[in-house]
Amino acid sequence: MTDSFRQAAGRKLISRTSAQDLGTVAHLLVDAQRRQIAAVVVGRGKKARLVDWSQISGFGPDAVMVGDEGALRPPADDRERLAADGKLEILGQRALTELGNAMGTVDDVTFDTGTGALVHLRVGDREIPAAAMLGSGSYAVVLADHGEPVT
Amino acid sequence: MTLLMHASQINGLPVVTVQGGEDVAEVRDVIYSPEAGHLVGLTLNKRGFLSGRRREVLPVEAIHAIGRDAVMVADESSLVLPEDAPDDVAHPGPDRNVVGDDVLTVGGVSLGTVRDLALLVGSAGEVVGYEIEKAGGGRGYIPLPAQLAVSGSALVVPDITEEFVRDDLVGLGAAVDDFRARLGLR
Repeated sequence: MTDSFRQAAGRKLISRTSAQDLGTVAHLLVDAQRRQIAAVVVGRGKKARLVDWSQISGFGPDAVMVGDEGALRPPADDRERLAADGKLEILGQRALTELGNAMGTVDDVTFDTGTGALVHLRVGDREIPAAAMLGSGSYAVVLADHGEPVT
Repeated sequence: MTLLMHASQINGLPVVTVQGGEDVAEVRDVIYSPEAGHLVGLTLNKRGFLSGRRREVLPVEAIHAIGRDAVMVADESSLVLPEDAPDDVAHPGPDRNVVGDDVLTVGGVSLGTVRDLALLVGSAGEVVGYEIEKAGGGRGYIPLPAQLAVSGSALVVPDITEEFVRDDLVGLGAAVDDFRARLGLR
C-alpha cells in the first residue's frame, strides 16, 4: 500500500502491547540517499521523539503501531536534533535541481507503507520519481536534472 | 542545459550541497580571469543576516553547477581554504576587475565601458560577453572571443565585435556562436 506524508501527519502512534496513545506523527524524516523513511518524528520541540522505521510494526491508515513506548528515543545527533526541531520537514521545503534552479516546493511525498521506500515527490503539478532525489536538508530538497525547460 | 546570467546576479546566491540539501555559504563575489575568459572561482560569505566573510573560497572545478537560484556543490568539502586553493583563486590579480574598463576595437573604436559580465552557467562558468554602457548611451551586450588583451583600464576586442552588439542577454546568447564562427574559433 502507498500512503502520503501529508495524510500521515497527525496520525496517532499506538503501543501494540499496552494500546496506549504514545503521541502523534509530526512529520517523517527522510534518508535521501536511500530514498527511504528513516524515522517518524513524534511531537514537536523539546519533547519531540524519534521512532526508527525498523521499530514500526504497522503503518496503517488510522494508526502507526509500535511494540511499546521503548520505541521512542530522543534525537541522537545533529541531524536528528534538526529533525526534532522541524527543520528537516520535507513538506513545504523548496525543491532545487542539481543545476541550481528552483522548481517550487515539495507538496507531498508518497511512500510504501510496508517498506518505507519513497515512491513519488509531488512538486507543484509534477510527480517526480523518488529515484531523482539526491539530497534533503534544512535548505532544500535537491533533485536530479531531467532537462527541465529554462523559463 | 545552458543559461546566461549576469555575474552580479550570482552574488548573494546560496551555495547548496547536492547531497546534504544544506546552504553552507553564499556568494560574495565572482573571481574571473579576463585573459582566459573564464570564471576561476567564487569568494564566499557566511549565510544569514549580519553574517561576515568566509575565509574559504570555491574554485570553479569544485562547482557542481550554477543556476538561477543557487550555486550547487557536492558537499561542504568543496569549499577550500585559500592556502589549499589554486593560486588564481587564492590570489586573483589586480586586473581581474574589468567593470568600468573601456572596450576598444582593434581599429580604435570605443564601444563603451564594461558594466557586468555575461556568464554561460550550468556546469560551465564561461564568460561569453560583457554588458556595456554604450559609447552613445544606453545598454548593450557584446560577445567575447575566447581570449583577449586586457590592461586593467581597457580591453581590446576584434573589429567585427561592433556588428554583434545586442540589446539583451537573449540576443547575446544567439550572437556568441555566430561571432566566434566569424572569428574562426568554432
